[in-house]
This record gives sequence, C-alpha cells and structure tokens, in this order.
Amino acid sequence: MRLRKGLAVALTGAMAVSAFAGSVAAEEATEITLWTYPIGSWGDAATVEGLLASFNEAHPDITVKVEYLDYTNGDDKINTAIEGGQAPDLVMEGPERLVANWGAKGLMVDLADLWTDEAKEAIYDSVEAACQNNEGVFYEYPLCMTAHTMAINRDVFEAADALQYLDEETRTWTTENFIKAVEAVYASGQENVAAVYCGGQGGDQGTRALVNNLYGGTFTNAEHTEYTADSEENIKALELLAGMEGINFDASLQGADEINLFCNGTLAMAFCWNIAQEKNNVENIAFDVLPMAFPTETGEPQLCGGIWGFGIFDNGDEAKIEAAKTFIDFMANDEKQVVESVKASSYWPVKDLGNIYEGDEMMTEYSTFVQYMGDYYQVVGGWAEARTAWWNMLQQIGSGAEVSEAVATFTETANAAASAK
Amino acid sequence: MKSTAMSTKVYKVVSVTAIVILAVLFAFPLYWIVTGSFKTAQEINATSPAWWPSEWVLTNYEKLFSKQVAPLFSITVPFTDITFAGPQVPAAIRWLVNTVFMAVAAMGLTCATAAMAGYALAKKRFFGRTVVFTMIVCAMALPKQVILIPLLREMSALKLYNTLWAVILPIVGWPFGVFLIKQFAEGIPGEMMEAARIDGASEWKTFSHVALPMIKPGIGALAIFTFINSWNDYFMQLIMLTSTETSTISLGIANMQAENSTDFGLIMAGAALAAIPIIIVFLIFQKYFTKGITMGAVKG
Amino acid sequence: MSNRSRALARRETMAGYAFLLPSLIFFVGFVIYPMIQCVYTSFFDSTMGREDIFVGFKNYVDLAKDEIFWGALKNTVVIVIVSVPVTCIFSLWVSSVIYNMKGPACSAFRCIFYLPVVTGSVAVAVVWKWMFNNYYGIFNYVGKGVGLLDKNINWLGDERFALGCIILILLTTSVGQPIVLYVSALNNVDQSLVEAAQVDGANKFQCFWKIKWPQIMPTTLYVLVITTINSFQCFALIQLLTSGGPNHSTDTIMYYIYYSAFKLYKYGYGNAMGVVLAVIIAVLSAVQFKLAKTD
Repeated sequence: MRLRKGLAVALTGAMAVSAFAGSVAAEEATEITLWTYPIGSWGDAATVEGLLASFNEAHPDITVKVEYLDYTNGDDKINTAIEGGQAPDLVMEGPERLVANWGAKGLMVDLADLWTDEAKEAIYDSVEAACQNNEGVFYEYPLCMTAHTMAINRDVFEAADALQYLDEETRTWTTENFIKAVEAVYASGQENVAAVYCGGQGGDQGTRALVNNLYGGTFTNAEHTEYTADSEENIKALELLAGMEGINFDASLQGADEINLFCNGTLAMAFCWNIAQEKNNVENIAFDVLPMAFPTETGEPQLCGGIWGFGIFDNGDEAKIEAAKTFIDFMANDEKQVVESVKASSYWPVKDLGNIYEGDEMMTEYSTFVQYMGDYYQVVGGWAEARTAWWNMLQQIGSGAEVSEAVATFTETANAAASAK
Repeated sequence: MKSTAMSTKVYKVVSVTAIVILAVLFAFPLYWIVTGSFKTAQEINATSPAWWPSEWVLTNYEKLFSKQVAPLFSITVPFTDITFAGPQVPAAIRWLVNTVFMAVAAMGLTCATAAMAGYALAKKRFFGRTVVFTMIVCAMALPKQVILIPLLREMSALKLYNTLWAVILPIVGWPFGVFLIKQFAEGIPGEMMEAARIDGASEWKTFSHVALPMIKPGIGALAIFTFINSWNDYFMQLIMLTSTETSTISLGIANMQAENSTDFGLIMAGAALAAIPIIIVFLIFQKYFTKGITMGAVKG
Repeated sequence: MSNRSRALARRETMAGYAFLLPSLIFFVGFVIYPMIQCVYTSFFDSTMGREDIFVGFKNYVDLAKDEIFWGALKNTVVIVIVSVPVTCIFSLWVSSVIYNMKGPACSAFRCIFYLPVVTGSVAVAVVWKWMFNNYYGIFNYVGKGVGLLDKNINWLGDERFALGCIILILLTTSVGQPIVLYVSALNNVDQSLVEAAQVDGANKFQCFWKIKWPQIMPTTLYVLVITTINSFQCFALIQLLTSGGPNHSTDTIMYYIYYSAFKLYKYGYGNAMGVVLAVIIAVLSAVQFKLAKTD
C-alpha cells in the first residue's frame, strides 16, 4: 500500500531526526514501558512498585513505566496501541497471547539470547515447549505458572450431603459423581449450582477445561496445528452440560462475574478458578472454599495450565529492546529477585527454586494440582479469533442451538483463522 | 362538561403519579452509585439489595485514591522533549483533570470554529457553499466507529496517539456545531449586516460586533452540548488513550473491571467522582442552558 | 454588474472562505480525510502485522453474505426506529405534564430526568448491569416480590430481551435533553391563541394538536436530529453490557466494526462496513433534512 509506505518513510525520517536529537539524553536513561495483565499481584501497583525499586537499584539507567491492563479491555487496548504505533515495549502475559497471537503476527522480538542453554536446562520442558512457535522461535520468557482449577462451596456441598461424591484427599471426582453431586446440590434447594459463563473476554480456560475433561476430549490436536473441539467427546460433554438442571449457560456473565457470584454464595461452584482468585477474594468469602480438579471419567484430570512471562514488542528501537531484555533477565533469572517476582504472582516458578512457599497452607493446598497439569495447547495460530468464536459457540448452545452444529461452526471458524496467513 | 373536567383531573393524577415513579427510576442509578460508594464490600456484593448502607465506610475512596499515582498535570513544550510535570497525586485526580481539560478544550475549539463557519454558511454567499453544507448535513450523524481505523492511523502518524488531542480534534471536526450555529445565524436580520457594511465595518467587526451577540445563545447551547458529549465520549477515549497519565475518568472506571474480581465498591467510588462535578456544572448552568438552546430551536 | 458590487462580492467570497477555514481544517482533517482512507482501505485485505493486499470488492461481497452483518444492520435500524420516536413522544409527554407545575417542582423533575445524561454512560452501564442481573438484580427481585415474575429472567443474557434492555437504558440516557427543550418550548407557546381556541370550544386534544403542536415543531425537528445522532452513537452500553451478545443479538454496525477490527483483526472488512453505514446515514440525513425543509 503506497500511501502507508510513504507515511512510513516520512516517519522514519522524523524518527531519525528525533533520534539524533535524543541521542545525548539516551546515555542517561532508557525508558521502557511494561504492560501487565492482572497476574496475581502483578496487576497491583503497590506490589509492582516494590519490584521495580529493586530493579532500579541494580539498573538505575533504565526506567520502567508500568500500565495495568484488565482482561476485559486489555487485548483491545494492546491491539489499538499496536495500530496506533505505540505498542508497549514489554508485556506480561501467557503464550496464547505472546506466542499464538502477537508473535504469530510477527510483532514480537525473538528472545533467543535469553533462552540460553542454561535457561533451557532449568526451565521445565512443557513450559519451554509452550513459549515457542512451531518453528522454535521463542516469543516468551516465562516467570510463573499454575494449574487452573474449579472450586466448590464446601458448606453447601456438605449441607446437600454431596461431599460423598468427591475425593477430598486427591481433589478429584468422576463425571458420574459430578452429575450426582450437581443433582444433590440442586435438590437441596440451591437453584443455581454453577454457570457456564459465556459473555466473552477472559476466563475461557475454565469452560474449555470443563468440557474437555468430562469425557476426555481435546481442544486441539497433539501437534497444536488444528482445533479439534468438534470431537464426539466434546459434543457429549456439551450436551450433558446443556441438559443439566442447575447449570446455566449464561451469556450475561463473564469470568469475573462468575467469580463474584461464587464468592457471594449465589453459585455453588466456580469454573474460573485458581489460587489467585482465592487470595484476592479472601475478604469477600464467608464459606469454606474447596478447590477441585475438573471431573473426568477416568479420574485423571488434565488441567489447563497457565504460564505467564514476558514478551517484547518489536518497536524498532534497539536500545529499548536491550533494556527490556535486561529487565526480563533481572526479574526472571536473578537468584534473589526471581523468588520475589514469582511470589508477587502468587503462582509457582517455572523452574526448580526449592519450596518458596514454605509454611503457606493455602499454597500447599493448591500445589496438589500441579501434578494434574495437562498439555499446554494454547499456542495454535489464530488463538484470539478462536477464543472469540468459542464464546459465540457457548452462547448459541445456551440459546438452544443444536450442539453438534454449533461446535462444527466453531471448529470451522477457528481452523480458518489458524490456517490464515 | 363536568365529565371532561373529571377525566382531565384523573389524567392529571395518573400521569403525575407515573412521572413520579419514572423519576425514581431515573434517579436510581445515581443514588445507587453514591450510596454504593460508601458501602462495605460484603454489602455491595450481597444477594439481596441493601437499599441504604448499614455502615458508612470510606474504604472504597481510600482504595480509589491509593491505587496509582500520576503527576497532576504535565505540559510538553511543542516539538521538544521539555516537559513540566505537576506534583504526584492519586491517578483518579489526574483522570478528572484530563477529562475536564479534554471537555473544555473540545468545547472552546468547537464553539470558536463553529461560530465562524456557521455564520459564513448562513450569511455569506460564495462558491462551494452548498457543497460544504451538504457534506456537513450528511456527515452529522456519522458515528465515529466508521472512521475508527483510519483515524487511529492518522493520529499515530501525527504523533498524537495516546494524547488527549487525539480525542479532542475529532470532536472539533464533527460538523454538528456548524450546522447548529448556521440555524441560529439564519435569524440575523440582513438589514443589520447591511447597516454595518454601510458604516464601513470590516468583515471581522461585522462578525464580532453584529453577528456574535445574536448567535450567543446558540453558542451557549453548543458549548454545553459539546462539553457533556465529550465528557461521555467513551469510545474515542477507549481507542486513543492507553496510559495512566492520559486516561480519563470514564476510561478509568471501565478499566477497573479486572478478571480476578470486579470490585464494585471501587467502581462506584470512581463513578461518583466522575458524576458529581458534571452534575454541579449542570446545576449551575441549567438556566443558561435551557434559555440558549430553546431560542435557537424555536427559530430553527 | 458594477465594479463596486463585484468588489463587494469578491470581498464576501473571501470573507466566507476565511470564516469557514478553521472549521474546515478540522472537518476535512478528522472526518473527510479518514473517510477517504476508509473507502480506500475497504478494497484491501488489511490486517495486523502484514502489508495490505488489494482484493477489489471482496470485502463488500463478503459483507453481503455475512449474516452477522445483516443482523447488526437490523439491530441498528431497530434501535434507531424504536428509540427516536419513543424518546420524542416520551419527553413530550413528560414535559406536557411538568411544564406548568408550580414552584420548584418542574425544575426538580427536569433535573432528575437529566441525571442519567450527566452521570455518564459508563457509570450508568455499571448500575444497570447490576439491576438486570440474572441472580439478584433489582428487576428480578422486585418482579418476584410483587408477583409479576415467577422465576428469574436473564435480561441481558437472553436473546429475546437483551436488545430491549439496551434500548431501555439508551432511552433513559437520551430523554434528558428533549425534556429540557420541550418544557421551554411549551412555556413559550402563545397563550392567547390557546385561550381563544378554548373559548371556541376546542377540547384539550384539539387544543394541543391545532395550536401547540405547530408552535413546538421547530423544537421537535431539533429533538429528532439530536436523538437520531445519539442513537447511532450507542456504543458504550453495548461494549460494557453485552459485547454484542448473546448470539450477536445486540450487535450494532458500530460495535461490529470495532469487533471486526480488534477481535478478528479484519481492518479492511471493518472499513467496508463503515463505508456501507456511512452511505446509509448520509442518505438518511439528506432525506431527513430535505423533508424538514419542505415542511
């Protein structure tokens, strides 16, 4: 497109001039921007200020300006910023965004020099696999991880005599028992047992994990090249959920709303759950929360993992890219700092750091789930488009559409996006 | 005769009752925001509505003001890197400052340019007048979403992206104001203009001394209309502004909805902070507002 | 034509351009130029992170086949067709009841009906979201309390109600200004004409229709224009309350453009949609204006 090229030339010219003007100042300080999603307390200004203070002690020549995103508007915000030519230098999120979305669109910097042999050695293999695309280019340097779980209101379950259907030791249950438990809770007078929220935006992993686990379906193929949500197992699971009394397909809810409803006792179960939710809502919860794995036929859940780390947008400024790498290196590799960085997220490290949560009961409780972590498949191309289509599919099912048709439409749309160049 | 008087009375009673009920409904959101901002987290998330805070707390405002900090203002000298920044204040205060600046700048620029252009279109005869006016009428109802992507790229190229000007300039460019003022200026009697010309007044003097006083009410109306519209222009703010320092109060509130948990108390406090100043503005200027806009509309 | 009048005409032309210029700079720079860009890009397959590819009319052809687009167009039309007349009639009715109230009552009502306008759509949306809540929202709470509903209705999550809810909220945020206008207009109606008609035995309805209505006509026209503009700008409510769902039942073209651009990364497609909407609106505005002129 000629017009834009002309514009680009003019802009480069302008930038060269301004770079020349700014070269004196550059020696003093490089300013980079970091945009974080609310990953535990990485979304909280007070905590991040503390982390930055230690970074600036070590690297006074780099200033980091932080913006805090949310999952409702965050993606749109980055997308508009990219189009507005002001993408952040650093962004903190997971591979589904850094690798499968912006990385796949060629907007991110290859982080090969951070992924040294030493780093590859230390970082768990599954995490390493998730942080690169199919050609082996790394777009993310990971910091922390967790397993997304679901949770139940133990008080309500106890009153409904439904605790017998789950294993409080291993935190697992079978699909059959899950059905029985929902029936029992519903019969006890709890009108709304759970909600399959489908209002969109964040929290999609909860609904995916639920559907996939019930009858052992998968969301993508093993090679992470294609969406397979239209498999028989998934259709069966969706049909089961759509037909269950007490489980609402609710298009007016987003993940955050579901959590609110669970915390105030309206719902007896939450599908959008992990340790951070419990920590953040501790003041609002007046009952005993029991985090659970998603129910499966075999009793061997495949939990959806969350991996969070840093990616760098290619804004064409070498100095900033270097500074951003320095920042990542400090936050994720500095021996003392990494513990603090991980703790701020309230998740677990992506490499062996010893038990950093010694004596923390809640963390110990949740660490049970790490063993159930399944394949990290959120790296298929067209992920952002697929997620949008997933919500549409759930909404269609919620309003009575034939499950097999809705699922077929989803797979078609998602795979079209995956193969688009 | 008696029965009509009776039915008039019944109609009156019924309609006043209906309007009182509707008024309650209309006042409710603001009532809920203000009381909600003083409720505890438990109360605000309770499943049965708490009509009145059982306990008044300031925690929501404390949270709002302790969330993030930003300089009170920052002024960059054009074409340089020299920036003057104010003292650090809670970000919510900065958002208010930004919103006021944005609304006032949009209002001032719109009124100034629209007054001149509306006057020219109504009172001057020149080539291209009809074309311009037709374009204005056609573009008047155009939603900004239509030009979303080009506007974004343009602002980026002008290096105005993520500055308040990216929101202000499209508001000023929106031609409704010109249309409105033109309708007012049609009412300026030709004799007055003629008299001014015979007196040898310059074009500018004719405008500023003869036309301007006549269209003043229209400008007043446009001013308030633009102020409130830009205060509420959530869409452009959402697209154009990305950083804490450039954010506005509406955007700030919308961004408080995070995945982990939506803190309604915090949102209510922000909403109250956003609503109260503009309501005060409205109350103060109410008289002027009604007067100005009606005269224009009647003259239409 | 004499030299003098020619000089006058030239002076008038120059003055006309000079007065128009500042406004035109903004209008051309931030409305017309982006509009041209919009038309231009609509012929390209444009997305994030790669060069645009010329595709001719493909985006338009795709649009014609896109059910969601037609649904969004339908919703946009429904919103405008419902909200514009209802806003006008509702505000005229409220004004006719309150305009001759004594003391501060009229002013108080006028203020209250204006409150949602000044509260701001974002804040209003947050409260309405709670009011419409499926589980403990006030509508379900009160509705069940007085026996109107036998079970909770998922107002914003149900295809049948969501658009209606959006229109309702839109109404509350748009009647404020028309009421203010109508109250003043009704107060300015020539009372002697009304009295004369009453002496002649005209009833209330005739009095209104024959005497008052023509006199408030200019206000009505102005109200129609601003309400139409307002209902086309309805974006925040949809983005914050339903994101176009459930099942695209609250998608408007304005939201779908945003959605195509930043959720699906189809910029060219979004621009094509913008062009279609712009043409529709331009034609409608021109027709509306022509009609108003001939009246």
